[in-house]
Amino acid sequence: MKTRYLAPLAAVALWCGSSQILAHHSFSAEYDAEKPIQITGKVTEMKWSNPHGWIYLDVTGTDGAVTNWALETSAANGLIRRGWRKEDLPAGTVLMVEGWQARNGSPTGNIRSVTFEDGRRLFAGTSNQNAQDEQ
Amino acid sequence: MRGLGGLLAGVALLAFGMAPLAQAQDLPRTASGKPDLQGIWQAQTRAAHGLPDHPASEGILAGLGIVAGGSLPYQPWALERQQANFANRLSEDPLNNCYLPGVPRIMALDHPFQIVQEDDHVAQTFEWSQVFRLIYLSDDPSLYEGIESWMGHSRGHWDGDTLVVEVRDFNDRSWLDASGNFHSAAMTLTERYRMLDADTIRYEVTITDPEVFTHPWEFAYDFKRQDQFPRLLEYQCQAEREEANGEFERDERTWYPAPIPQDNAAFDADAGTTLPLPEAVGEIRRLPDGTPDISGYFTSDAGGANYGLESSEGGFLTPRTRGVVVDPDHGGLPYQAWARAEKDDRMLPHRGYDDPTAHCFVAGLPRSHYVPSPFYIVQGRDDIAVLHERMSWRQIALTRTEHLPDGIRLWQGDSIGHWEGDTLVVDSSNFNGKTWLNEAGDVISHMQKMRETFTPVDADTIIYRATVNDPIAYTRPWTIEIPFHRADDELLEVACHEDNNDLEHLKDVRDAFRAGLGEPTSP
Repeated sequence: MKTRYLAPLAAVALWCGSSQILAHHSFSAEYDAEKPIQITGKVTEMKWSNPHGWIYLDVTGTDGAVTNWALETSAANGLIRRGWRKEDLPAGTVLMVEGWQARNGSPTGNIRSVTFEDGRRLFAGTSNQNAQDEQ
Repeated sequence: MRGLGGLLAGVALLAFGMAPLAQAQDLPRTASGKPDLQGIWQAQTRAAHGLPDHPASEGILAGLGIVAGGSLPYQPWALERQQANFANRLSEDPLNNCYLPGVPRIMALDHPFQIVQEDDHVAQTFEWSQVFRLIYLSDDPSLYEGIESWMGHSRGHWDGDTLVVEVRDFNDRSWLDASGNFHSAAMTLTERYRMLDADTIRYEVTITDPEVFTHPWEFAYDFKRQDQFPRLLEYQCQAEREEANGEFERDERTWYPAPIPQDNAAFDADAGTTLPLPEAVGEIRRLPDGTPDISGYFTSDAGGANYGLESSEGGFLTPRTRGVVVDPDHGGLPYQAWARAEKDDRMLPHRGYDDPTAHCFVAGLPRSHYVPSPFYIVQGRDDIAVLHERMSWRQIALTRTEHLPDGIRLWQGDSIGHWEGDTLVVDSSNFNGKTWLNEAGDVISHMQKMRETFTPVDADTIIYRATVNDPIAYTRPWTIEIPFHRADDELLEVACHEDNNDLEHLKDVRDAFRAGLGEPTSP
């Protein structure tokens, strides 16, 4: 419980600012550098799973249709070690996510950054920038 | 007569009173006087098939019940759920999906497990899917209280000669047996391990789960010492399944018993440089007998070795790597031409599916020591257990001198170690050749022989080296060096295959390539 009482945004900063990633497969094999994405939506679920966590985001298209995107984060264990807990990203949170879409064309993405409604722009741990600092 | 009777009664009383003491004195004990539970054990029960009395059915062997009182005290809704679980067991049983078995089910499987013990930890390593448990012998609360997991969080203490373990923080996904008996995330267990003699442990469990049962309930059975194998072996449930159904394909060049390619350059076994061992820069930890103490929680400062052993600038979503090769001194791996070409091919997106760790299979060695996840070393008398957070283990045997027969091949190889001064020297062979050295596809084959050295250089640093001999993939031996750093932390659980959403995406990319569609957009 070392960092259990962090305010959620501070916790996000910790999570996203950390350099550690916990990849178990080649991200470059799964995601496509030619398919950058920038989507905004409401969190429907955060899956605290290993080998990677997932943020599920309802995104409304220009035609009004809602697509539920699956957006990959670092492993739950890394988030937990940085003080994150399940309650810190509740359903309904509005996020803008930048990243890259999966090569298979499904509504799946690797997260490069997460921006909250108040404008904070935060890295999410599985991006190339963070990955290059991995020790 | 009264006097004789009283004397006899006194002798009988004395004998009765002495018996447990005599028995207790016969138990194997550690240097600190605790019962020594170390060794390979297997449950003497059909409890993994069904906890109560049960007949045989598909996938289930008949068995005598072990539950005190005969049946599980289900709440009415929960009994219905158990019956539905039983009816759907062929598809729904977590074990039939190769998921982590949970506790107490893991203890009763038809597979042996090993106990490695030190004064403040007890490690249990299981043949089944390289699962482990780490029991912290501590009164302090866990750093991660409340984090749910398949195997729970175990904390124990000695009550006289009985090891008492409290297990909590379960998820609600595992079953208690193959018959659909189940629990909720509110379940807590009390396990009691008590040696009856040198070859028998009595195992008693109390299950408390107010969301599923009407009251706590108990069961008990025995573990018997196993000695038909010189070490614990491996059964990788998911890997065996995927190999059998074609989802994980054989590599004829690296898997046992692939021969050395005819056009390989000769392997120069003498080309490697013998580097002087690192020197201590501070006081190192020692056990009471003076042996270096290398136990504890470690992370490796691997500089991205999981993305390349050589130095590289990285690329799209592939990290820069520091380079950990210290011999040859130019930092490049001495590849055979075919293996260098294969490594380059593995960098293409359609090959991402072929990395065993993308399937959540065991990383192999030395990779298990530089995947970006911590590991815990438990330093027992005869064996050192290394517990890798990515749910796998390796055993380093300190008393054996002979490796396994050639035909027994393991993901983590067969490791035998000894101390040379303050350095643990470990020789490994019997690898299966199914692993990759990292996500960038550095190549290793079943002919891998490896000498590792673990040299503590101060209280919290181990300098790790691995020298690899592999005449299939390389022209000469090579050596990597990585520091390990000790920290005050605890292992979490990585249940990988259970929630592995990535593999289907990687398979789509591979299948598109095989269908002649090329690499989807740019590589």
